[in-house]
Amino acid sequence: MASIIINVSKYFILILMLLYTLTCFTIYQKGNEKKREWKLNRQIVYVFLIHFLSYMTLALSYEDRMTEIVVFYGVQILVATIYMYLYHFIYPYSSRLITNNMCFLLLIGYTMLARLDFSMAKKQFIIATAAMVLVAVIPYIMERFRNLRNYGIIYGVVGIIALSSVFVIGVEQYGSVNWISLFGITLQPSEFVKVLFAFFVASMLSKSRSFKQVVVTTGFAGVHMMILVLEKDLGAALIFFVIFICMIYVGTGKIQYVAVFLAGGTAMAGLAFLLFKERLFNHVLVRVNVWKNPWADISGDGYQITQSLFAIGSGGYFGTGLTKGSPKLIPVCESDFIFSAISEEFGVLFALALILVCFSSFICFVNIALKVRSRFYKTLAFGFAVCYSFQAFLSIGGVTKFIPSTGVTIPLVSYGGSSVLSSLIMFSIMQGISTIENKEAKKIEEERRNLEEEAQRLREA
Amino acid sequence: MKKNEEILKKKRKGSGKPEHELDMSLLTPEQQEFLKREEKIDRINERMNRPVIGITYICAFLFVGLISYILHFMIVEKDQVISNAANTRLDRYAANVIRGDIMTSDGKKIATNRNGSRYYPYGKLFAHVAGYSDYSKAGIELVGNYYLLESHANPFERMVHTLREEKNMGDTVISTLNYELQEAAYDAMSGADGAVVAMEPDTGKILAMVSKPDFDPNDIDEVWKEANTNPDSSMLLNRASQGLYPPGSTFKLLTTLSFMRQKPFGFMTYSYDCEKKEEIFNGVSVHCYGRKTHGEEDLSLALANSCNQAYADIGTKLNVRKWRETMEEFLFNKSLPYTDASAVSRFLLDAKSDKGYIPQTAFGQGDTLISPLHNAMITATIANGGLMMKPYLIDSVENYKGSRIRKFSPSSYDTLMTSKEVEILTSYMRRVVTEGTAAPYFSGAEYEAAGKTGTAEYENGAHDYSWFVGFASLEQPEIVVSVIVEQSDVNGVKASAVARRIFDTYYSLEGH
Repeated sequence: MASIIINVSKYFILILMLLYTLTCFTIYQKGNEKKREWKLNRQIVYVFLIHFLSYMTLALSYEDRMTEIVVFYGVQILVATIYMYLYHFIYPYSSRLITNNMCFLLLIGYTMLARLDFSMAKKQFIIATAAMVLVAVIPYIMERFRNLRNYGIIYGVVGIIALSSVFVIGVEQYGSVNWISLFGITLQPSEFVKVLFAFFVASMLSKSRSFKQVVVTTGFAGVHMMILVLEKDLGAALIFFVIFICMIYVGTGKIQYVAVFLAGGTAMAGLAFLLFKERLFNHVLVRVNVWKNPWADISGDGYQITQSLFAIGSGGYFGTGLTKGSPKLIPVCESDFIFSAISEEFGVLFALALILVCFSSFICFVNIALKVRSRFYKTLAFGFAVCYSFQAFLSIGGVTKFIPSTGVTIPLVSYGGSSVLSSLIMFSIMQGISTIENKEAKKIEEERRNLEEEAQRLREA
Repeated sequence: MKKNEEILKKKRKGSGKPEHELDMSLLTPEQQEFLKREEKIDRINERMNRPVIGITYICAFLFVGLISYILHFMIVEKDQVISNAANTRLDRYAANVIRGDIMTSDGKKIATNRNGSRYYPYGKLFAHVAGYSDYSKAGIELVGNYYLLESHANPFERMVHTLREEKNMGDTVISTLNYELQEAAYDAMSGADGAVVAMEPDTGKILAMVSKPDFDPNDIDEVWKEANTNPDSSMLLNRASQGLYPPGSTFKLLTTLSFMRQKPFGFMTYSYDCEKKEEIFNGVSVHCYGRKTHGEEDLSLALANSCNQAYADIGTKLNVRKWRETMEEFLFNKSLPYTDASAVSRFLLDAKSDKGYIPQTAFGQGDTLISPLHNAMITATIANGGLMMKPYLIDSVENYKGSRIRKFSPSSYDTLMTSKEVEILTSYMRRVVTEGTAAPYFSGAEYEAAGKTGTAEYENGAHDYSWFVGFASLEQPEIVVSVIVEQSDVNGVKASAVARRIFDTYYSLEGH
């Protein structure tokens, strides 16, 4: 009986997922405010049902820990539902679609983690919930402190110091020295510096767009990236580089800079590769070779990616059903390779929809960037949009062998405290910008309306 | 009022200019100032948004690329990827599916289920090539594992089974093997160890594959125990694809080809006078098989006589670097394009090697090693006009009721020879069969065969390997055979005789 329920709920989960994804995009259709609100509420129902069916499957599959799973389920859905409603209540000008997506992605992450490793799921849930409470004040702070754009150099200096900290108090994990240990907690500074870095570039360019300013900004950015390369965290270095180029383009409006930086960046990377091939880039060569032909060494270097492809392929379009696959055969399936685990058990169609949900969050970010009229916030918002989407792209592209693997996580879904925390900060800042923008827009609209009324009155008089 | 609201809304959305302008004349100068400023900010905003929109398109393009790639993977590459033997996930399917049958192309069931366990009706006959599926997997049981564990029974039936928690019947794998040819090859090898590969040169279909010593896959329990306790036991090894042997005189075909390529004008006029029983080349003494002398020979006769001295002489005329390049083109030191496990043949000679190795290498002794399958592929390349086909074992997949699910088509590896080279080598190989070393075995054949024999000494000349590679017929090559017999000096089985029997059987089959 249980297996039938699991089998059937697999298809229901997929249908609900497709409906959720569809709503992410139909929300932009013309229609009144009420209809939009209704769609957003419906999304919450889809999330609720997907989550319920998933946990029912988990509870039926692991009967010996049924109570634990049910309690965990209850707490999760309570936190998520409260958050989705309350957040909108406190910040009526925030984007509800972003809140929905954020909670949904977190819930998908918890669910997959609970299936893979229950203690990791609990840890992730506790960190994320605490973080959600903390970051909830960010929009409020941003509204209060409108001079965030004045600290350009400070952001840069703090960022460089934080990145360099790994050379002093760094610990090694997964072969890269890009973690630090503070008071018994391991953190990945690059995750947080990413946020600071976007602030840095945005505030520098909002002050001036002179050639000199761009040079100074580039200098700081170069130091950031160099430190990351020395840490052998090339995935992060690449993300910083892409954020930087996109922000420079949006901040200055000059495509010439993009051309120069792309050429310069490629030249620098090439030069560094030639000079420090052995010391810094050996693992890059390994990764590229594995990408070109993982089948040459299935049991060695190619093991992870071939297992990932086996997982995705064997799961098929509809997946094996939660708990019915073998995602644990993929090393690091909880963080970098969580996409393959999701794809194996929930199915490729579900996984493709997940990509579209990530893309929908990106579109939300872009919309905010388009609407906000301050150069600082616009550049910042777009920096985050690029950062978010590029990271998701690198992660998913890497585990599906579309591009060489860079060891990057999917924001909010993958396991990892630093990654979740920094993603939540990013999402909250976006909500802050959205709030500021919407309020400003409303103010202007009101002012115009007053003018209208006055004009009307004058005409009548 | 309502209209003005709409105008303002449109303005906010930045969707171009509103249709009706506000009546500016009625406003105070400050108010007009305000509106103008707002408009200007909107214009700046629009300009600032251009890069945002541009990059957003690029990002959207990346996501579309990613999704298309994943779909492409699922539609085109998935089957091949997940049928990889290293994919242990397949065993999970076994929980829901009864493993399907394996058939020969002429309709004999060679692997099925009986009383809940795997049953091989012909026992040893298809031992290595059909393989086994317990303990570990090998042969078609391995390369066809994915299809055997997939069920394409009718969807309603499958749903009922699933709901009742019963197993579905797996699909049937139709192999390229031919029962009659397999039996002929197996019988011809009786009493001898070694391997046989028969394949179609123009498709790469493997028609027969025998490896001996063999085992009965029905007794896999004992066989597995024996193989794992006795370190000398090699019965589980499929010698046809995984065995490596010195190619002996069959290698002279490739030496001839290298010679033709390096001396495009010289090879036609080449001659060698094999007058002494022994001759020194590069400081190494060389003698022909049985210490015979062959007298004055051109290249064609040297090959027909399998004259070691002439080939040692040719070896000294070759540029070693280019020679090795040609050998690597022919897949020495490379893995074969074959789905089941296969050994990598080796050709170690290079420009730095001791010159003393050259003469032996030229006539197929020395450090060179080749698998019987590889030798069959090289011969098939000659038979197929220079185009090498990838060998394969699975012809098609049917559901258990017999409706076809998928069909595998032949695929080529590469064109490795020109038609000129093919023509010359074919004529030389024909001479081997009409008047050379293979002639005694092919008298009275109803078809025209071409080939090359080989005898390789091992264990310091204590024993002989007997080789034959060749094809039939000359005009229309349909079948290639590669045979290796171990200790042929002891068991008296000659590779050429085995080949003759397979060719005879092939031409006695219906349709010929």
